[in-house]
Amino acid sequence: MDLDKKLEILADSAKYDASCASSGSDRGGRGTGAAHLSGVCHSWTADGRCISLLKILMTNECVYDCAYCVNRRSNDSAKAILTPDEIAGLTFEFYKRNYIEGLFLSSGIIVSPDRTMELMLEAVRKLRQVFRFNGYVHMKVIPGADQALIDQAGLWADRVSVNIELPTDKSLRLLAPGKTKATVLGPMNRLAQRISASKDERRSIKSSPAYAPAGQSTQLIIGATPETDREIIKLSEALYGKMRLKRVYYSAFVPVMKDNRLPALIDPPLLREHRLYQADWLLRFYGFTAEELLDEKHPALDLSFDPKTVWAANNLHLFPLEVNKASYEEILRVPGIGVTSAQRIFRARRAGGLSLDDLKKLGVVMKRAVYFVTAGGKYGGLKKETGEAIKLKLLEHKNPNGQLDLFGEAALVKAGMKETVTGQI
Amino acid sequence: MSATYTYDGTFEGFLTALALAVEKKLPGSEIARENAVEAGLFSEFIRAGSDPIKASAARALIERRGSAGSWHYVRYAFLSEAPGVETAILEYVRLLLDKGRTADNMLADDRVKKVHALSAKVGGEAHRFMGFVRFKELADKTLYSKIEPDHNILPLLAPHFRVRLGTFNWVIHDARRNNAALYFKEKLVYAPLSAAELTEDAKEAEVRELWKHFFKTAAIKERMNPELQRQNVPLKYRKNLTEFDRGAE
Repeated sequence: MDLDKKLEILADSAKYDASCASSGSDRGGRGTGAAHLSGVCHSWTADGRCISLLKILMTNECVYDCAYCVNRRSNDSAKAILTPDEIAGLTFEFYKRNYIEGLFLSSGIIVSPDRTMELMLEAVRKLRQVFRFNGYVHMKVIPGADQALIDQAGLWADRVSVNIELPTDKSLRLLAPGKTKATVLGPMNRLAQRISASKDERRSIKSSPAYAPAGQSTQLIIGATPETDREIIKLSEALYGKMRLKRVYYSAFVPVMKDNRLPALIDPPLLREHRLYQADWLLRFYGFTAEELLDEKHPALDLSFDPKTVWAANNLHLFPLEVNKASYEEILRVPGIGVTSAQRIFRARRAGGLSLDDLKKLGVVMKRAVYFVTAGGKYGGLKKETGEAIKLKLLEHKNPNGQLDLFGEAALVKAGMKETVTGQI
Repeated sequence: MSATYTYDGTFEGFLTALALAVEKKLPGSEIARENAVEAGLFSEFIRAGSDPIKASAARALIERRGSAGSWHYVRYAFLSEAPGVETAILEYVRLLLDKGRTADNMLADDRVKKVHALSAKVGGEAHRFMGFVRFKELADKTLYSKIEPDHNILPLLAPHFRVRLGTFNWVIHDARRNNAALYFKEKLVYAPLSAAELTEDAKEAEVRELWKHFFKTAAIKERMNPELQRQNVPLKYRKNLTEFDRGAE
């Protein structure tokens, strides 16, 4: 099989992994390449997702038979494997032409988790030592591999990840026989310890080697199993808190395989995926807790509104806020104000009082924020405001006919996805 | 009477004009490229020339009176080459002299907003091109890239690639401005370059096809969204992007 055919098979099987970031590392030094702290996107494919890394599997052969996975044992599609030399060589040729920021290497399980991990490590070691490559490397860790092998991954890679894929043990047992929560969380926990130990060490001894300087991420598949948004967002909150993960990716389930254990989805649930990313952003950058966004009575995210608007409409007793006096944390919670405009408000406030007009100039989305703020005592929202009245007004903005236009929303969502899906933070 | 200060198109020339204009304190004065303006009926024409001492004095003034970011805003906004940017910077610098470092917090003030916005545009395009530069390997192993950006971002891109591709010889050719950054034997120089005669390395076509094939394969059919792709990769940039080249596959 020639290299072109192999690359096609192994890129095709790797593309369902949503992780694309090349951020969080500033590796550099003698040799070729460097990482850029904020990450760099090099292109965007026809589905609008960014290409930052050469995202491939080492092999799509696998000993497991997970129902949702395109690489399952019982799928008799064409199989291929790349040698460590081919992986390192291809990465280097692409990198020097500035096609990519580096390598994202995952793999099906060939022979055993240990053997798979050894071959992957060999590819990345070659890239680092023979090609003296300082670009970005994201390495998947193979659950079930020996601890000593898992430990090595973070020595070569900038980012490491183990995919949880299914949010509960029950779903794992159903769809991924051979995997349990423990086999996934075990290595994740181990990596978390190594990453934090290395950080501590580097605080006192700067020259000690960095261990996965861009940290750890994971992925959850959305819509293949019956978990609620509340269960998913609570899990993410725990992963960010206890495991110190940098990113949790959400991947709308694409039914690539027919299986009677899987739901018969016609389209991947992209809008739900988008709302989850918005909620995830609120956890990480806006100081929200999962419980504030979704409680037992409301376990699903509202598909018509972004989760911050829903929260604010349900908590009107906290509004309107005076933008010239409110704290930064409070301002961040206003719909229509993002991190950038909150920082701008804070900065501009020091030079003088702000009016409603000024807010527009600072980039605040006034059509949403207008119901929730005053500026110099002036309010531009509704006379009799209730959460429902505000929501109705916002819907009018979306569609002049007053009906919820799902296609319009979908277009809006697609435009907004730029921030969430590429997510170079 | 107001005055129009003209300069030679270089950053040093612009800073010289800026220094002169600030010294004179004539309200309503403008700065413009030579040949780009005609003398007005009520405006005096002053040719600034290019004076390194005056230019560095202008920089020192901005750094001393402005905030930590002011010099960055001036430099990046200038690279935008937007019509009227020189006068916009002059008015911004006058505000710095008047209000000091708090001027950069006056984000709703049009003078500040304009220079900040142009600077952000240039920074944004430069970041985009850290991803969009595409090199091809020539027969002598030099890496060559052609770009046609809206703004004059070459001076921002070249240092980025010096760090990552310091082990190669390379050329980034801004075909819109007939200018090039040339990195040869670990030295970086800028020089005018109009057309380049290129002989590709024998292996080049093969690697290019691998990349194009990878790019095509990486899209998920069920998620197709060309609108989002167009927002992220505007059509105007595509002609120099290998993966959007419709040639052989």
